[in-house]
Amino acid sequence: MDDFSYEVLIVGSGAGGAMAAYELTRQGHKVLLLEAGRNYDPKTETPMFRPNSAAPLMGASTPDKDFGFYDSTVNGGWQVPGEPYTKAEGSDFLWWRARMLGGRTNHWGRYSLRFSEHDFKGKSRDGLGADWPFEYNDIAPWYDKTEALIGVCGTNTGLDDMPPSGEGILQPPPTPRVPELLIAAAAKKHGITAVPMHRAVLTKPLDSRAACFYATPCGHGCSIGAAFQTTTSLLPMAQATGNLRFITDAMVKTVTVDSSGKVTGISYIDKKTATEQQLNARVIILAASACESARILLNSKTTSHPNGLANSSGQVGRNLMDSTGAGLSALVPALMNRPRYNEDGHTANHLFIPWWGHKAQANKELDFPRGYHFELGGRFSEPGAYVGGNLQGYGPALKQQVRANYGAYVSFALRGEMLPNEHCYMDIDPDVKDKWGIPVARFHWQWSEHELKQVAHGLKTAKAILETMGAEVGELPTAEEAIKKGGEIIHEVGTTRMGSSSADSVTNQWGQTWDCPNLFVMDGGVFASNPHKNCTLTIMTLAMRNSAWLAEQLKAGKL
Amino acid sequence: MKKPGLIQTTAGDDLQQDPLPAYTNRLSRRDSLKLLAALAASTLLPALPGCEPVPTATKTGNATGTEHWPELKLPAIDAKGYGKDPNLIMPPEAPWPLTLTAAQLTMLAQLADIVVPAEGNSPSASQVQVPSVVDEWVSAPYPSQQRDRLTILSALAWIDDEAKLRFDSPFTALTAIEQLAIVDDIAYDNENTPLQFQRIAKAFARLRNLVLAAYFCTPEGIKDIGYLGNVPIAGAYPGPTAEAYAHLDNTLAQLGLTEFAYPVA
Repeated sequence: MDDFSYEVLIVGSGAGGAMAAYELTRQGHKVLLLEAGRNYDPKTETPMFRPNSAAPLMGASTPDKDFGFYDSTVNGGWQVPGEPYTKAEGSDFLWWRARMLGGRTNHWGRYSLRFSEHDFKGKSRDGLGADWPFEYNDIAPWYDKTEALIGVCGTNTGLDDMPPSGEGILQPPPTPRVPELLIAAAAKKHGITAVPMHRAVLTKPLDSRAACFYATPCGHGCSIGAAFQTTTSLLPMAQATGNLRFITDAMVKTVTVDSSGKVTGISYIDKKTATEQQLNARVIILAASACESARILLNSKTTSHPNGLANSSGQVGRNLMDSTGAGLSALVPALMNRPRYNEDGHTANHLFIPWWGHKAQANKELDFPRGYHFELGGRFSEPGAYVGGNLQGYGPALKQQVRANYGAYVSFALRGEMLPNEHCYMDIDPDVKDKWGIPVARFHWQWSEHELKQVAHGLKTAKAILETMGAEVGELPTAEEAIKKGGEIIHEVGTTRMGSSSADSVTNQWGQTWDCPNLFVMDGGVFASNPHKNCTLTIMTLAMRNSAWLAEQLKAGKL
Repeated sequence: MKKPGLIQTTAGDDLQQDPLPAYTNRLSRRDSLKLLAALAASTLLPALPGCEPVPTATKTGNATGTEHWPELKLPAIDAKGYGKDPNLIMPPEAPWPLTLTAAQLTMLAQLADIVVPAEGNSPSASQVQVPSVVDEWVSAPYPSQQRDRLTILSALAWIDDEAKLRFDSPFTALTAIEQLAIVDDIAYDNENTPLQFQRIAKAFARLRNLVLAAYFCTPEGIKDIGYLGNVPIAGAYPGPTAEAYAHLDNTLAQLGLTEFAYPVA
C-alpha cells in the first residue's frame, strides 16, 4: 500500500463497512478496507439454478454448511475453524460469522424494515433499555437514500409500525402467494393485518444490477445483483471511484495507540503468511460485526486504556441483544392437493405480519413491553433432503400422501424485540486464544421475562390464526422451550452502543467513540436498542449518515 | 435396454441363489441424473420385477412374536466432510467413500422400490439412483447422518433377520408377496402397531423418509410432485394462476373468511 495514501481505514466489508467505504470514496476520500475472510466474487461463485439433487446430501445442512450446501457463507457458519468462541457456564449462545468479502450480506434474508420513532424512543415510553440519541426525523432522509441505493421492494402501508418511505423510493413488491393470502385473511379475522414485506431485492433494474428473475434462493447469493449484497453493489461502486483498496485475509487483532493514548492504526494477522502486520491510519472505522468489533476493542487494552479501548464507560461488550425467535407450523388441510404453480417468487416473504400491538401496549393490555412480527412460511418449494408429515405405508398411496401435503404446511416465524439485560454480554475469555493468538469472545446469556412473555403471546396468536385456517395445532410448547437460543436469529447488536452521554454509551450518535475521536464504530454494535425489524437496513443507513458526517469532519480538518 | 445402475449378479454371489438383479453404484448419481433425463425424453423406463401389482397373497409366513433388534457395532466413519468452502458451482462428485456393501445396496434397492414403485410415467426409486443417494447419506461423516446410518443399517439387518426367521431365506430372495408380508408389518407406526414392530417401524420410517426425499429431489420426482420453480421469469412475478385463485376463493368461502380476503389487484 506504499503507493496509496489513505485517510480512513475500515475493518470489515459487510453492511456497515461497505456502506462507509461507498460514502467516503464517493466523497473523494481514500479508503483502505480490511476483510478477515477471503476474496469472493458472486458473479462466478453463486450456484444459480443448481438443484438440490446435484449437491451432496441433497443440499442438507451439515456442520460444514449450517444453512445447507448452497448457502453462500464461506469458511463460517456457527463455527469458524480455528477461531472458536466460548460460553460462560449456564449460558448458551450462537455466533454466526462469515469469512468472505461482503461478510454476511452475501446470504442475509434481505428483510429491510425501517425503525420508527416508536422504536427509537422505547425507554421514554416504558422506562426500559435505552433511547437512541436522535429522532426518527433525523434519520428518515438517510433511510430514503439507503433504500434508493440498495433497492428495496415493498409498499407504504400506512401502519403505525412501518414509517413511510419517500415518494417513488420503494420498488413494486411481488404478488402474494396463495398460502400467504390465506394467512392474511385468517389474521384479518383477528384484527391483524398482513402486508407486503420490504426486501432489498430489485423488482426493477438498478445501476448495473438486474431485476430479480424469481429463481434461486437469495441465501445462495445472487450473481445478477438483484438481491442486495455489498459484493455486487457498494464494493464495486466504491472501487470504481479509484479511492478504495482492500486487503482480504486480514484479521484485525488490535487497534494501536501511541504513548498518549491516541489511536494510531491497527495490528492485523495476514492469514496467508500467518504474520502480524501494522498499518497506520488517520481515522479508523470498526465494522467487523457487533461482537467482533467489541472483541477488538476489548483486546486493545493498554495502560492508557486499561479496560479496553473506548471503554471508559464500561459498556463495550455489554447490552448484547439478539432478536427473539420462535416458530410454529401446521398442516392446513384446506391447502392439501391445491393447484400447482411456480411459487418461488423472490424466494422469501411476499407478505408478512408487522407488529399490530402498539395501542394495546399503550393501554397496558399486554404483559410484555416490546413488539414482534411474523414472517410467513409455506409454499411449493424445491424438494430437498426431508419430506414432512406423518407418513405411513408405502407405494402409490404413500406417494399420494406426499403430493397432497406438498405446499400445505404453513409456518409462523416470530421475530421480536429483546431488551438489554445485565446477564447478556460478551467479554474476553481469559484462557482461550484462536489460532492466530487472539483472545476469543466469551458469551453470557439469559432471556428475561419480557422476552418469554412476548414469545408466549406470539405462539398463542399464531395458533389462533392457524386454527382459523382449519389447522390442528395441538398443545403449544412453553415459551422457554420455543424460544431460540441467543444469537440464533443472527441479529446480535448493542455491544458498543451509541448514546447521548459518555457515561453510559460507547459512541455518540455519529458512531464516533467518546474516548477516541478518530475511532468510529459502524456496525450493529452501535444499536441502543434492538427493534424487532431485522437490523441490516439500519446498520447501512447509520453507516451512510455517519460516514457523511465523518467526511464533513475530514473536510473541515477536524480529524 | 439395460436399466441404469442395475447389473446381473455373477454366480457365487453369497446373497442369492438365483441371478436376481443386484443394485450397484455403477454410475455416479449425478451422471445418472443426466442420463436419465436423456432416457426419459426418448423412452419409457421399464418397471422393476417384483413391483408389479401383486395378486392375492398365498404365503405370508408367521410374524415373529418377539423383538430381535440387531445391536450393530459399526466402525466409525473417519472420512472428512466437504469442508467449509466447497466449490458450489461444481459440487464434489464423491465427497466421501461410500460404505454400503453390494448386498446392502441390492436389498435397499428392493425396499426403495417397494416405497416408491414405478407408477404411470414416474420411475421407481432405484431407477433414479435413490439407493446411491442413501449410500452417500449413510456414509457421510456428519453426526446426524451417522445417527441415520445406525438406524438404517439396523433396519436392513432387522428386515433380513426377520426374513430368515419367517421364511428361512434372505429378504432379497423372497417373493414379492413374502417381502410385502414383512413390510406390511413395519410400514405403519400408530397405536395399533404391535410391540415387537414398534422399534423397526420407527427405523423404517426414517429409511422411508430418506427414500422419498431422494426420489422427489430428482428431475423425475420434481415432475411427479409438481414443483414448477427454478426457472427464470422475465418481468414481474406472475403469482397464482386463475385455477389457484379459484381454489383459494373456494377455500376462503369454506372457512368463512371471504369477507376478510386480502385485496388482490
